[in-house]
Amino acid sequence: MVKLEELIANEENRVLCLGNEAIARGAIEAGVQVFAAYPGTPSSEISAALIAAAPKLGFYAEWSTNEKVAMETAFAASISGVRAMTACKHVGLNVAADAFYSFMYMGCKGGFVTVVGDDPHCFSSQNEQDSRWFGVSANFPIIEPSNPQEAKEYLKIAFDLSEKFEIPMLLRSTTRISHARADIEFNRYETNYREGEFEKSNRFKCLPALARANHPKLLEKMEKIKEWLPDSGLSTIEGPDNINEFGIITSGISYAYVKDALLMLNRDIPILKLGIVSPLDETTILDFAKDKENIIFIEEVDPYLEDRISALLIQNNVTPKIHGKSSGITKRYHELNSRLVAEALTKVIGEEIVSIDEIKQAIEETKEFIPFRPPLFCAGCQHRAAFWELSKVVRKNEGIFASDIGCYSLDPWVTDTLLCMGGGISMANGFARVIKDKPIFAYIGDSTFFHTGLPALVNAVYHKANINVLVLDNRMTAMTGFQPNPTEEIDIAEVAKSLGVEYVVEFDPYNFELGKRVFEDALKHEGPSVIIMRKICANEWWRRMRRKGEKIDVYQVDPETCIACGTCLVQYQCPAIHWSIDTNSKDKNYSVIDPSVCTGCSVCSQICPTGAITKVED
Amino acid sequence: MKEVYQMIVCGVGGQGILTITDIITIAALKKDFRVLGSEVHGMAQKGGSVVTNLKIGKNLHSPTTPTGTCEVLIGLEQNETLRYIQHIKPKGKVISSKVVLFPISWKKDRKTAKLAREKIEENLRKFDVDVLMIDAEKLAIDAGLAIAQNIVLLGALSQIEGFPLTVDELRDALQNRVPTKYIESNLNAFDKGIEAMNTSA
Repeated sequence: MVKLEELIANEENRVLCLGNEAIARGAIEAGVQVFAAYPGTPSSEISAALIAAAPKLGFYAEWSTNEKVAMETAFAASISGVRAMTACKHVGLNVAADAFYSFMYMGCKGGFVTVVGDDPHCFSSQNEQDSRWFGVSANFPIIEPSNPQEAKEYLKIAFDLSEKFEIPMLLRSTTRISHARADIEFNRYETNYREGEFEKSNRFKCLPALARANHPKLLEKMEKIKEWLPDSGLSTIEGPDNINEFGIITSGISYAYVKDALLMLNRDIPILKLGIVSPLDETTILDFAKDKENIIFIEEVDPYLEDRISALLIQNNVTPKIHGKSSGITKRYHELNSRLVAEALTKVIGEEIVSIDEIKQAIEETKEFIPFRPPLFCAGCQHRAAFWELSKVVRKNEGIFASDIGCYSLDPWVTDTLLCMGGGISMANGFARVIKDKPIFAYIGDSTFFHTGLPALVNAVYHKANINVLVLDNRMTAMTGFQPNPTEEIDIAEVAKSLGVEYVVEFDPYNFELGKRVFEDALKHEGPSVIIMRKICANEWWRRMRRKGEKIDVYQVDPETCIACGTCLVQYQCPAIHWSIDTNSKDKNYSVIDPSVCTGCSVCSQICPTGAITKVED
Repeated sequence: MKEVYQMIVCGVGGQGILTITDIITIAALKKDFRVLGSEVHGMAQKGGSVVTNLKIGKNLHSPTTPTGTCEVLIGLEQNETLRYIQHIKPKGKVISSKVVLFPISWKKDRKTAKLAREKIEENLRKFDVDVLMIDAEKLAIDAGLAIAQNIVLLGALSQIEGFPLTVDELRDALQNRVPTKYIESNLNAFDKGIEAMNTSA
């Protein structure tokens, strides 16, 4: 993480930072005045940086309860004349979609930019959604940088364009830009923040008659942007201008892969790089394609450029041979890299590429020995304790378990469904209508509860759903980097009670017997019950204790009493516990607790069948 | 140095992979190289397999390093070394810690674990690269800071022929990056890594 002083230093400098931090610096250089966002990988570091910088520079920034709330907050600031911004991950953009489809009709005043982090390859996501399609369906103008430096510069351009055309802009990043680390040129900036002023106008009301009038105006704006694009400097053609056999059209990170692939192949082919992918720079594209025999599209995930540009070419009687997803040279899923792009190009241009067959052979011979290493709950994680207790009361095949998005998505024992933010409680409501012979559970974290869980809970109470809602309140948004959220101020138990939930109980999951009793008791209750596990994230608590130099009471295993049954480390899966002899052997084996990892939660000592685990006494 | 020097650092979340990547980038930047790397954040960091790609040079484009493109790999855990060794060019270099961190599947199935452990060196040798295994855990403890296994490997890296940063440049960057009270023990760990390379050669 770049230091805050470095991020906000008002000087020309070359600074090592993440793509997301470069975007945050771009926002500062652009003079953003209101920023609101909900965390989501790969976008969170933009928000973390801006929320840290805001009080130092005197602008407003917040962690909002969800992406829709964030975008609406920023939009109101924009139509009051100041520069405003939001950032989210691709699926978060869907949450805000209800708002922006109509914002587009209204247009903005102060520059308004949404940064979206798409996640090809699902590094930290539930799908590979390609947000560029919002450019077509919502008429969202989209600027797409190809590296972290460009992300910073393009963000500033996006603010200028947004003001010039009075239209909200989308800057599309992907994981490999957001989480790239590079040296970035910082520029000086000004903080002459504007006074907000809201000029009343009918354009900000999306009543049908007004919306009907606004839609053609939006399309006119898109046409104007299209006309301006050829002179914008954002569509760039490079490579030899005397080669008509091949031409590559690309944008974003795919452009970087093309550059490296051509170096790998030692070839020089004309490239058209589009900085803006919605609307399309039709003039430049047609000019580039008109004499080419082959057009090669290189892009990740969907054939967005390929399909749209193919249609454009047909409409204009330009007929090069098209290569891309349609001809199978790249796949419609997962991320690209320079090698995949080089392989794709060789299929069209016929070049030889250095073989990696020997490496592939070695991979084939060794892959069975490489263990799968999935992410796990941390040592001492209270979610693990809660799920363990739940699984002892209701076994997996005895209940229906609807999970949600957060650290608790990692539950290894009971989870049946995992859909989207806030999806667990509503799905439990649906299950309760048709599954009559099994108890229905939903679980949700504190941040997700406020994000979209709350309306689902209201619905469940209103319709008297017989469901058990487990709220895993670890006092912060842990998965995305320990961001604060409303649970700091708003008591979830009080919220549930005020909604009319009759069965509301809080418990400490580190108490194994108590946890089991709570779940057993909840099952007896008809109608919605809310069970709240309220305890600070063990990982964050442990880090704070270590930082303060405070003593943590760790646990130990008595080798004589231990029968190596594996309850603590194979079943409970605490990462702080290992075997004394970790490969099979005839010597006596027993569990060993690593004192540098143990957080002293004590759960292993409670579940050990032989009482072999005790607290280390001084 | 060639136009672009590509490398990879891998291990398990929490082993200090990002820290040594940081130190290398700080040193590279000071020397006026451009740097470009890629990291994995979010879910995968929780005890999962973690890898960073890094490019140092002048003319940098994409942030990742596909199969068979890296000069050197630094592995903080031997199974992770095996997982990512495919990124190394033929005749490239691998410096790996001997440390083994047991994934949950191996805790369940110790037979598989035994076989995989016995075969690890043989499996690594199936790739056409120079592999050097270092007892980074012991060397870090000897240096007075058990967690500095990553820094031991950084010291070893400084001895690789063709690596574009010198011992002094890395030592400078190290002092910039680690907390003041741990500078001395980290420098010791760094020197242990250099020694290990020179005694093995």
